[in-house]
Amino acid sequence: MTDTPILENPLRSGLRLGRTPEPCTMVIFGATGDLTSRKLVPALYNLARERRIPGGFSVVGFARRDWDDAFFHQTLLEGVNDNSRSGKAEHPLWDSFANGIFYHQSSFDEAAGYASLRDRLNAIDHERGTGGNRVFYLATPPEAYPVIIRQLGAHGLATSPNGGWTRIIVEKPFGRDLESARDLNAELLSVFHEDQVYRIDHYLGKETVQNLMVFRFANGIFEPIWNRSQIDHVQITVSETVGAEDRGGYYDKSGAMRDMIQNHLMQLLTLTTMEPPVAYDANAVRDEKVKALRAVRPIRPADVATYTVRGQYGPGNMGGSPVVGYRSGKGIDPESQTETFVALKLFVDNWRWAGVPFYLRTGKRLPRRVSEIAVQFKTAPHLLFADSPTNDIEPNVLSIKIQPDEGITLKVSSKVPGQGQIRPVTMDFRYGTTFGVASPEAYERLLLDCMLGDGTLFTRRDEVEASWSLITPIHQGWADGPRQEFPNYEAGDWGPASADEFMARDGRAWRRV
Amino acid sequence: MTTDIVTIERDLQELWKSNTAEAAAAGHSTTRALTLNLLARATSIEQADAMGAVIQALTASHPCRAVVLIDQPDQGDPQLEAWVQANCLLPAPGAPQVCGEQITISSRGARAGQVASLMLPLLVPDLPVVLWMDGDQPFGHRLLGKLRGVLDRLIVDSASFADPIRDLAVMAEFDASNTSGPESPALSDLNWARLTPWRELIAQFFDTRPFLPHLRRLDHVEIDYVAVGEGGLLRALMLAGWLASNLGWDLCEGGVSRDGEDIGLHLIRPAVGAASGGTRTVTVTLRPAQFDDNALVGLSALHLRAVDNVLADFSVEHTDNPTCVRTLAQVAGQPTVSRLAHAERADTTELLAAELRLLSRDRTFSAALHSAASFARGIIEP
Repeated sequence: MTDTPILENPLRSGLRLGRTPEPCTMVIFGATGDLTSRKLVPALYNLARERRIPGGFSVVGFARRDWDDAFFHQTLLEGVNDNSRSGKAEHPLWDSFANGIFYHQSSFDEAAGYASLRDRLNAIDHERGTGGNRVFYLATPPEAYPVIIRQLGAHGLATSPNGGWTRIIVEKPFGRDLESARDLNAELLSVFHEDQVYRIDHYLGKETVQNLMVFRFANGIFEPIWNRSQIDHVQITVSETVGAEDRGGYYDKSGAMRDMIQNHLMQLLTLTTMEPPVAYDANAVRDEKVKALRAVRPIRPADVATYTVRGQYGPGNMGGSPVVGYRSGKGIDPESQTETFVALKLFVDNWRWAGVPFYLRTGKRLPRRVSEIAVQFKTAPHLLFADSPTNDIEPNVLSIKIQPDEGITLKVSSKVPGQGQIRPVTMDFRYGTTFGVASPEAYERLLLDCMLGDGTLFTRRDEVEASWSLITPIHQGWADGPRQEFPNYEAGDWGPASADEFMARDGRAWRRV
Repeated sequence: MTTDIVTIERDLQELWKSNTAEAAAAGHSTTRALTLNLLARATSIEQADAMGAVIQALTASHPCRAVVLIDQPDQGDPQLEAWVQANCLLPAPGAPQVCGEQITISSRGARAGQVASLMLPLLVPDLPVVLWMDGDQPFGHRLLGKLRGVLDRLIVDSASFADPIRDLAVMAEFDASNTSGPESPALSDLNWARLTPWRELIAQFFDTRPFLPHLRRLDHVEIDYVAVGEGGLLRALMLAGWLASNLGWDLCEGGVSRDGEDIGLHLIRPAVGAASGGTRTVTVTLRPAQFDDNALVGLSALHLRAVDNVLADFSVEHTDNPTCVRTLAQVAGQPTVSRLAHAERADTTELLAAELRLLSRDRTFSAALHSAASFARGIIEP
């Protein structure tokens, strides 16, 4: 006879879906904002709809506006109808889900609001069986983060009653430079433990980004050529067609470097360059990412002209329609020096990558919305087919597309049938056609991972600081340098002419993505 | 109409040439994508058409080389014919059209016995080989015997077995005899795949920490199955088998009883807790339910209860809405947790796609099948 407590759910064994988290309450600070109705609640609804989160799961929206539960529900329902990948909400399911959604009106610095939040969370635990498990989601402007963190700490909300767990998700931007990122980390860690903190970068929730690690470390054929001996250079492109004029107030203080490079592009760079982790767990993966970031050669302020290009779009045409220039946006300084385009050349100074340039570029109002990592291999060492009509054989390129069509393409040279010509052909792997199932939204994966306590796809303290330590000197160099002649590219162009010259200096060209 | 390998392959080449030309004329490109060899056996033209429609729909997730066999050994003059077709998706704007290919072979009379020799050379190398045999249980079929050495997976649907209770036991024997060796295909049953949403919802109750200890305390299980066709009873038996195999419940000797149309299974549960004084019994009742078109994949309701000491009751029931089920967890001293959950009624294409995603033997299915077969034997010989 045994009396061994059950630690694992035996019915999960061999089930075709992954485990689901324990019931919990997610408190969203800034719940009346765009992110909540456009991304977070549609993601949570889809998780509930697909049985990935259990009954009892609850949401508390914490915000200043004088709303009530009914108005909050209606706003969220409209958000789901407009933004859910599963289409409009199905009513009986939505009603059941919305039964667990509550609105809590308070300003972020009002102590009484947190005391009543604590009482409300305890009541939800009792009524809905959430067992003291909580996720706090900071979806507010970053200025509000410190006061919310302090109030949570002051009201004993950083720890859970009844043996439950408490976690906190922090949205980007995580700081605006190295110093402010350190300050925010210190603020967070004065109240929470690092393993309670989930710094979100939604790029890491995308299937192709996760597949990059699988692609590199589950296939024996790529790792031996994934180095300076075989790779000529790497281009990482994240281009957007949207402008920044609608969120000018935020963007004009931020710019492309803070908005895109520091987080998304640096994540793509580290996943491309990192060494194999010893295990696929949160700390092993993040240890390797931090090592990769620390190997990136910092661009000194004096060298920004050599290794960086900045741009800002002016008026132009997008998709056949005229659009205004960046400086015409609301809340934007008419003389703004904020960059809407950045190109960088980085080197990773370690044995694997010494001498291989990594070109990063991102911009707004570019012709196409594309995110990709393109690994260009060295050309064949000897041109055997000199009698071919073309003696300019293109190098192999492995292109990992993150959006819009997630997939992997390998360009190889092939003989044209019946002729002596050699032409590049591509071998395509597309998520959409190969797996035939809709990839979950990045937020679905990340919210679920947080509820399951898996931090692998979130950014650790040292990682975020290592990333800022590379970005801040570039900002210093730009600030010390001459004023830029902005705007320097038309909306609808692939960035400023100086970006092409930047590549041409190295005898290379940007990919036509 | 063609009958030899060389001609079939030449027809395939012609098919792709004309397909590429037509796509180019229509302003898009076409991609031939093959992720597996899917062999499908039908016994009539109508059944072959139905299976072909499923294979066409499957192109979205599993473009393949399909070989559809219309196997009619008892009909007509000896005849072996084959024809080819492309299975293409409508192209998305700006994206290439993805196509698989299908070879249909019609075999009649004495020539039906030769068909395996035509199918084997048509397999694309280095791709998994899956044989889908719809209809009655196929475990002694000559085609299976001929292809066994090359098969990675055999897919059947026990809902259409002619003598379901006996055939369940035969299926379990087939699976048990196939547990190892390179020539042992994995077995999939679409009828088992229909249980996935039920299993998911049941398992989910016990992901909640305070509910987990009650899983080992369960002593009453009631499964209401839709009594149209025999597939419902087999699903109920397999669900009971899944619970029994995961929770270590063994059938008592003579542990199957009948009360009218209800079937009772009496099982021994391992002891729980130092004070429990030994093993306990679990009673599983399988009840036919009124036919209800909304019933989720042929099960109507499920209750799991622990009545000894602390009362705990976990239930899943379908609702008036065809895509919704209600789950309810009631444990003494704990808040009642109720919700509606989405539970899709998967069609054959989706069920097949789910099985094709499995890369290895489904050991959970094997264990559940083994237990279900012991219940089936008890029903045959109480």
